[in-house]
Amino acid sequence: MIFIAVAVAIGVGAFIAGWYLGQPSRPDADKNSPYECGFEAFEDARMKFDVRYYLVAILFILFDLEIAFLFPWGVVLEKIGRFGFLAMVVFLTILVVGFVYEWAKGALDWE
Amino acid sequence: MTFEHIVFYAISLILLVSGLLVVTVKNPVKAALFLILCFVSGAALWLLLEAEFLALTLILVYVGAVMVLFLFVVMMLDINIAEMREGFVRYLPVGGVVAVLMMLEMAMILASSKTGLVERSHPVSHGADYSNTAEIGSVLYTDYVYPFEIASVLLVVAIVAAIALTMRKRPQTKKQTPSRQIATRAGDRLRMVDLKSEKKQP
Amino acid sequence: MTDVTTALAWLPDFIEPLLTWLPIWAQILVSSLLKIVLILVPVLLGVMYLTFAERKIIGYMQVRVGPNRVGPRGWLQPIADTLKFLTKEVILPTNANVYLFIIAPMLSLVPALAAWAVVPFLDGWVLADIDASLLYILALTSIGVYGILVAGWASNSKYAFLGAMRAGAQVVAYEIAMGFALVGVLMAAGSLNLREIVLHQSGGLFQWYWLPLFPLFVVYFISGVAETNRAPFDVAEGESEIVAGFHVEYSGIAFALFFLAEYANMILISTLTSLLFLGGWLSPFDGLDWLTELPVIGLLFGNGLHWLLIKISLFLLFFLWFRATFPRYRYDQIMRLGWKVFIPVTLVWILVMGFAMFYTPFGHWFH
Repeated sequence: MIFIAVAVAIGVGAFIAGWYLGQPSRPDADKNSPYECGFEAFEDARMKFDVRYYLVAILFILFDLEIAFLFPWGVVLEKIGRFGFLAMVVFLTILVVGFVYEWAKGALDWE
Repeated sequence: MTFEHIVFYAISLILLVSGLLVVTVKNPVKAALFLILCFVSGAALWLLLEAEFLALTLILVYVGAVMVLFLFVVMMLDINIAEMREGFVRYLPVGGVVAVLMMLEMAMILASSKTGLVERSHPVSHGADYSNTAEIGSVLYTDYVYPFEIASVLLVVAIVAAIALTMRKRPQTKKQTPSRQIATRAGDRLRMVDLKSEKKQP
Repeated sequence: MTDVTTALAWLPDFIEPLLTWLPIWAQILVSSLLKIVLILVPVLLGVMYLTFAERKIIGYMQVRVGPNRVGPRGWLQPIADTLKFLTKEVILPTNANVYLFIIAPMLSLVPALAAWAVVPFLDGWVLADIDASLLYILALTSIGVYGILVAGWASNSKYAFLGAMRAGAQVVAYEIAMGFALVGVLMAAGSLNLREIVLHQSGGLFQWYWLPLFPLFVVYFISGVAETNRAPFDVAEGESEIVAGFHVEYSGIAFALFFLAEYANMILISTLTSLLFLGGWLSPFDGLDWLTELPVIGLLFGNGLHWLLIKISLFLLFFLWFRATFPRYRYDQIMRLGWKVFIPVTLVWILVMGFAMFYTPFGHWFH
């Protein structure tokens, strides 16, 4: 309980500090245009991007879930003993199959 | 009204308002950010229930991973909002049915004394040294070991599916194989040739 | 949840009588706020002087003297920098998304600072001694990526957007390696609580986890460098390619906030590495009683805050040293290192540890 309040307090503190310390602005068309090495900006910056980023993000989700499974396992490993260890070995073996598949398909290569 | 009540209602208010904003705000990136706020306040509610492992995992997995993917997708695709609006009427019936079903389910649970669903006793609150991470761990890998292994199979299926859906090999791309680069020796690339220096003919 | 005595735990004694006239909740609030100030002020000062140290140390590594004009030998330079940041205009680019543009720096700073709430400095010297503190830190660092993503997108500039996307994919890749490395620590310590993890390592230099978990230690620290987008993994900023990456469009205090977040994260990573693998505040001579019982210098050799500070400084020196030594990685090399080297290494070591713990007589090594 207290630490949520604390985190929020810190957050709000930083927020306010950032907000009120800014200085008056003197706007100007050139100053406010997006930086592009001195060129006039051509076309919108929101371009379509390589689909590979999606793949990385999806694989990240899957591995993150794996970590979420590993965390409680690491904590109670001594208590659950060999059976728990073997359960995780099976779990990881199955996932390593997936990992090897990724590797072999070249999903981890960034060309 | 204890302190916990106040915190609960404040967080719930944030949760509801941001949930509402997710569907009403026009800019898809902003909608995604409000969805993140939803998850964070949901996690805060779970913390109030002393489910700190679940709450932190919610942030770790949903906020830290799933929403990154959402943002990637939303930021990189130019989503035309007018086109999305057109789809609204078309999806309305399906969406409406799902929404009504969910409402009914919730109502059944909330009125559990009348609908005859079994009502559980209130969970006991534990002291500060109680670790529900360890509690989850001690049953997940022993009593629930089969569902746990099935989860790994599901994850593998997801990996395969993700690769099948998004992998596109372009034949003309060039890449290096670092292990081959490292393995080369000077002798493979370079040949020393002994050239006799030429002498001017007299 | 908490009462006044725990709230006052490690504050100096003279504070307690000053607060007795307040109601209980106010006492708790005031003492918590005092602690936050006690933690954050040194962190922020550390950030300020870390920028100075960086310029000086890299300067000397490149046979220059670094900043030496402001104050004696340049010691007032960080203060001058801060004042300059504060008095500069915050430029709002025309095509930018104003709200998101303003929120982004805060999004990156808040998690970097909030993570300190659970960091223990000595046994009991911690703001919130929660059970799942390691998970809390991991969750918060995973939020940090939004500051970068939102900043890059909201600026509506190509360089910024490119930098943000690169940073996003990179941070994400190394977070997995980091998580796996942490699992090893959990296996050894059997707890998610940072204080307990440190106490588990007591007994001198060779009881610390850096030795049995050496591969994980290396992976963790290098992933930490990559997480904070520091050289040689600084493709997100890459001055020579995309100017400054996600924060090209930022100026004044908004830019300073990104800077603060980056350096606060560096200090956080160094602190965590020292807590998790180098025994935190424990002295390397712990257990050698004849040494710690010496008068006066015995205190120096005993456990204490100074050891934690020394260890943190060591890792920060590594950060700076890396930047002075290594050329920037190319993007495909970064992704390869994260996915194809670190993840297999950590997975194998986790299995080796588990196997040794249960099936060989060497299990005690890993406890």
